[in-house]
Amino acid sequence: MSHPPPSPIYTLRGAGGPLNSLHFRCYGEDAPLLFSGSGKGCIHIWNLNTRRTNKVIEGHSGSSIIWVCTKRSKDTLISQGRDMQICLWDLGEGRCDLLDSVWTGSVGFCQCSMLETSPISSLLAFAGQQTEEIKIIELPSKIQICTLMPVAKVGMVMCINLFQPDSCPGPLLLAGYEEGSLLLWDVTQQSILSQVKAHPDPVMCLTFDPTRLRGISGSSEKNLSSWKLDEKNNLQLQGGVTLANPGVSQLCIREDGKLLASAGWDSRVRVFGWKKLRPLAVLQYHTDMVLSVAFSDHQDPRQRLMAAGSKDQRISLWSLYNES
Amino acid sequence: MESVSDSDSVRLEVSACLRCLSSSDSSRNITVLQTLLSYLDEASHGAAQRAQFSRSHYSRTLRVLITTIEADWVHRLTARQREELWDALFLRGPPEQALLVLLEAIGELSPSTSLDHVVTITEKFLQDGRLTNLLWSYCVGSAQSDSPQLRETLLGRLSALPDIMANKLHHNISPLFLPQQYYPLLASAMLTALQRTCQALRDNINCSLAFVSQTLGKLCLQGHGGLVLAAMAPRLSACTRSDMVWQRVCWKLFESIPQRSMECVLTALVLAVSGPESLGRIVGNLVLRNKKAEFVITHKLLLLQYKYETGVLRTVLGYLAADRDRRPLLIQVLRCICQAWANPSAVKHTPMEQQLYVSKALLLSVSLLKDQELQDLRSELLQCLLGGMQSHLDSSVLRIRCVGMVVGECLSSRMDNADTKLKFEYEQDEETRELLSLMTPSGWCEPEPVDGSESLQETKELAPNTCSVASQRRQTTPPLAPTDPDSDLDSDDELTPYDMTEDQEVSQTSPPRYLRDCLESLMSSEDAMRVELSLKAADPLVRRNAFAAREISVQMSKVLLHMEDKYNIQGFLILRHAAMVALAVTDCIPVTQYLTTEFYSLNYSLRQRLDMLEVLVAAAQELSLPTTDKKNSSIISALDVAELPPFQGHDPVHWRQVVEKRIQSKTRRISKGASQPATAKATPNRYAPVAGYFFFPLLKNYDKPEVTFDLLGSDHLVLGRLIHSLGLFMHLAVNAPVAAQMGSALLDFVWTVRYHTDQMVRRGVLFAVCSVFLSMPSQNLLLDLGDMLFETRTWLTDVAEGDPDADCRSLAVQSLVLLDKSLKKQLKDPQSPSLES
Repeated sequence: MSHPPPSPIYTLRGAGGPLNSLHFRCYGEDAPLLFSGSGKGCIHIWNLNTRRTNKVIEGHSGSSIIWVCTKRSKDTLISQGRDMQICLWDLGEGRCDLLDSVWTGSVGFCQCSMLETSPISSLLAFAGQQTEEIKIIELPSKIQICTLMPVAKVGMVMCINLFQPDSCPGPLLLAGYEEGSLLLWDVTQQSILSQVKAHPDPVMCLTFDPTRLRGISGSSEKNLSSWKLDEKNNLQLQGGVTLANPGVSQLCIREDGKLLASAGWDSRVRVFGWKKLRPLAVLQYHTDMVLSVAFSDHQDPRQRLMAAGSKDQRISLWSLYNES
Repeated sequence: MESVSDSDSVRLEVSACLRCLSSSDSSRNITVLQTLLSYLDEASHGAAQRAQFSRSHYSRTLRVLITTIEADWVHRLTARQREELWDALFLRGPPEQALLVLLEAIGELSPSTSLDHVVTITEKFLQDGRLTNLLWSYCVGSAQSDSPQLRETLLGRLSALPDIMANKLHHNISPLFLPQQYYPLLASAMLTALQRTCQALRDNINCSLAFVSQTLGKLCLQGHGGLVLAAMAPRLSACTRSDMVWQRVCWKLFESIPQRSMECVLTALVLAVSGPESLGRIVGNLVLRNKKAEFVITHKLLLLQYKYETGVLRTVLGYLAADRDRRPLLIQVLRCICQAWANPSAVKHTPMEQQLYVSKALLLSVSLLKDQELQDLRSELLQCLLGGMQSHLDSSVLRIRCVGMVVGECLSSRMDNADTKLKFEYEQDEETRELLSLMTPSGWCEPEPVDGSESLQETKELAPNTCSVASQRRQTTPPLAPTDPDSDLDSDDELTPYDMTEDQEVSQTSPPRYLRDCLESLMSSEDAMRVELSLKAADPLVRRNAFAAREISVQMSKVLLHMEDKYNIQGFLILRHAAMVALAVTDCIPVTQYLTTEFYSLNYSLRQRLDMLEVLVAAAQELSLPTTDKKNSSIISALDVAELPPFQGHDPVHWRQVVEKRIQSKTRRISKGASQPATAKATPNRYAPVAGYFFFPLLKNYDKPEVTFDLLGSDHLVLGRLIHSLGLFMHLAVNAPVAAQMGSALLDFVWTVRYHTDQMVRRGVLFAVCSVFLSMPSQNLLLDLGDMLFETRTWLTDVAEGDPDADCRSLAVQSLVLLDKSLKKQLKDPQSPSLES
C-alpha cells in the first residue's frame, strides 16, 4: 500500500500575482533565500528561516517578471521582465541597487539562460528582437558574442538552455521553438549541430542535465519528451512520459540528478525519478496553474526543498526524498 | 461292477469312521482322522476312491467333525495333532464344501472356544489361498458337486463373507474379514484364477469362466464393485496391454457376467479404469454384443445419471470413439445428447448439475468427432445448437445461461473453421474454464502404466512410477518470473512512489451547484461533460437540499428513469440508481407512487421495469435502516452508495445473499431469545409508516397483460424480481403495524404462481413466503391466515421434497422451520390474544 502524497511543509503567501519564476540561494552562511518573480512586476526575496519577505524589488515598471537568477560569486541578482529589460541588481550588504540593464527587444516569454564561465564573467543568452533570434552577450561587459538565427522556419524561440559540455571547447545552446523543434547550437561556430522534432506543439520548457547529457522538454500537450545527446552531439529522442492532463510550464532536475519535477497547467506538481522517469508523486495543493518549480541548492541534502509557484499567487514548499 | 464295490467300500469305511468320531476314544479317533485325511491324499487311495469321497462324503465328514468339536477327545488333542489332523481336513478337501460347512458352523455356534477355533480355520482357509483353488476348481470344471442351488448359495456366501463374520463376531472380528481386506483378497484370487486360465488356454485346456463372472457379478450387485475392481482393473489393464490371450479371457469374463449384474459391473469398472484405452482393452466390443451393456454405456451413464466426475465421461466417450466398430454408437450417443441438451423442457425441469453433466458429455463427444463425421452431422448439430442456445439463453438462471454460451461457442468454433464463430461475453470462472478445456484434447492423456509385465508386484509399483512422471512434468515447466532484463543498480527503485490514484483528468466544466440546474442539464444538455457531472452531483444534491428536492422529485425521477447512457458515462447505471434512490428516500410517497404506477404502464423496457423495482427496494432498505441523527444519515447513505458493487442489476444473487444473511441472523436471534444490543438507541423507523406505499400498488394489475408487458406470460424474469422485491418489502416491514395485512396479501398473491415453471420465480415465491413468516406477528399468522396456512404447509413440504432446484428446496425447508417456530411460539404463549378471541 503506497503512502498518500505528502503535503507542503509550508507555503508563502502575499506575492500578489502569479509566480513566473523561482530561484533559491541557500548555500553559504547567510539565511537561505528564495527569489520569486511575479506577474505584477515584483521580485520578492523570501527568507526561508523567518518565512517572510526580506525585501520586495519593483524594478520593471510593473511589467511581469519572467525570470530571476543570482550569480554564484557575488550578491548579484538578474531579473528579466516583459518590459524587454534584463536588470542586474546589487544585493550586497542590504542594498538593492540597479547595477546595469540590457535591452532585449523580445516580446515573447522566453526565459534567459546564464552560464558562468569564470568567477567574474558569464554568458547570458536571451531571445532577441526578431522572434527566432537568440542573442548571447558576455557579462559584465555586455559585449555581444553572437546571434543565432535558424535558417529553417521553426517559429518563435520558446526556451533556451546554455551549457558547457566536457567534450567541446565552446559552450552549446539548446533551444526549443514554437514549431516543436529542438535545436542544438554550437555557440562559437554559430552553427546548428543537431535538430529534432520533439513535440507537435510549441516547446514550453526544457531542462538539461549536463552530467548525464540527457534532457527533457514539455509542451502544451500531455507528453513530456526525453532526449539524449550522443558523442557526436546529436540529439536523440528517447521516449518520454504521458501525463494525465496536458500542459507543462516548467521542468526542473534536482542537483543530485535523482528527481525531476514538472509544473503542470492542471495545478499539480509531478515528481519523477530522473533516471528512468518513473512517476513518484503527484502533488496537489494549488488551485490554479503551476507556473514555476525549483529545487533548492542546500549544501546539506536533508534540508533540500522544492518550491512551486502558481497562478493562485502562492508558493508551496515541499520536502521530498531527502532521506539519503 | 468294480466301481460299485469301490464306492461301497468307501461308504462303509467312512461311515465306520464317523461312528467312531461320535464316541470319545481319543487314541482311536486319531487314527480315524488319519484314515479320513488319507482320502484327500493322492498317494494312499485310487483316484476313483478319492473322487467318491470328495463328492459324497466330504461334507458329511466335516459336519460330523463340527458336531464333535465340543467332545472331550478333541480337547485332548495336542495343538500339533489338531492342526495336522483336524484342521487339515478342512484345508485340504474341496474348498467349496469346506467353506460352506465352515460358514454354516460359524452361523450355528454360539460364542465359545469352538467358534474361535472354526473362525481360525476360516482365517487360515483364506490365508492359504483356498479361494483361488475354489475359483480355479470351477474354471476347470473339477468342482465335485455343481447344482444351480449350490452355486447360488456358494456365491451368496462368498460375496457376503464379511457380513456373516461381522454379524457373528461383532467387534472381535479379525482384520482379514473386513471388507477392505477381504474383497481385494478375493479380487486377487480371481486374478490368479484368470492367470491360470490364460496358462491353461495356452496349453490347450478348456476352461470355463462362468463362475468367476458370476462371482464378480454378485460382488458388484451387492455394492462391493468399487473395492474389487479397484484391485483388479490396474492389473487387467496392464496384462491386456500386450497379451492377446489375456484380452480374450477378459472379454469372455465380462461377456459371461449375468444380465442382471451387468450394470453394476460396468459402472464399477468404468470408475476404476484409468482411461478409455484400458477400458477398451478390458471389455473389448462388449457394447456391441450385449444389449444391457450397450444401454448402460450409451444411455444410463450419460443421460440418466449425473453424479460422476468428468473423467468417467471421458472414459466412456473415449471408449466409444476408440474403435471403428463402436464409432456408430458414438454418433448415436451424440444425437441423443444433442437432443437432451437442446430440449427446452429439460432446461427448465432438470437439475443444474445434470445439465452441466450433459453439456460436458456433448462437448466431449463433439471434440472426439472426426472432420468427416462432423460434416455429416453438421445440420443436426446446427439444429441442436440453435434450439439449445435459445432455450439456455431464455433461462433466468445465470449459470444455465453461462453454460449455454460456453457450449454454443465451443460447438460453433468446432463446426466452422473460420469466420462465423459465435462469441459471447461471460465471466470466466472455474466451471466455464473446465467446459472450455474439454474441447482441447491435449488435457486427455493420463499417465498410464507403460509396462505390460504380468507380475502383480510390477503393477503395484506402477503407482509411484506415474507419480514420479507427474512430478517430473511439474519440474520441467518453465520457471515463472524471468529476471527483469533492464534491472540495474542505477535505477529509481530506491525512491518509493507515493499514491498516485488521485491523478485523474481534470474536467473543464464545473458540477452544478443547484438542483434545478442539475435537472436542467440532465434534461436538455448536449454536453457530455455536463451531463456526467450533473449525474454525479445529483445524489448528494438531492440529499443536501431535501426541500428543493421535494418540489421536483417526481419530475426528476421521470427524467432519470428515461435517461439513456448516450455518452457512455463510466458507472452510469450506479450513478442513476443512486440518484433515483436518493429521490425516493427524500420524497418518499410521491416518488413511490409514481414508480409503482409506472411499473405497470405501457411502453417501458424490461430493463426500466427492473430498475424501478431496484430503486424501490434500495429506497426501502435505506429507509428501514436506523439513523441516529440527520448529519450521520447523509454520511451513511453516501457511503452506502459509494460502496455499491459494480452494478447490482446483473447480479440478483448479491442482494439475495445479503437478505438471506439477515434472515439467518434474525432466525438465530429468535432462538436465542431476542437479545437486543444494549447500546442501540431507539429511533423511529422511517420505513414503517410508508411501507404500504411501496407494497400494495405493486400487487394491483399484475394479471392484466399489456401489449408490451405480460407478467404472467413471457416476462417471468420481471415476475420473479417483482415477487422477490415484494418479499423484501415484507421483510423490512417487520414490526410495522401494516405487516399483518401485507403478509396475508402477499401470500394470496404468490399462491397463484407457486408452481411456476421458472425457477427464479419459484425462488422468489419461496423467499417471499419466508419473509412473511419472519415479519408477520405470530398471533396474526393463525388468525388471519387460518386454512391458508395449512395448505401452504403442504405445498412447502412438497417443494422441499421434489423441486429440481436445490435453492428452492433449501428455501422451502427454511420456510417450514420458520413457520413451525412461529406457530410454536404462538401456541405456547399463554398471553396470546388470538387464542382467546
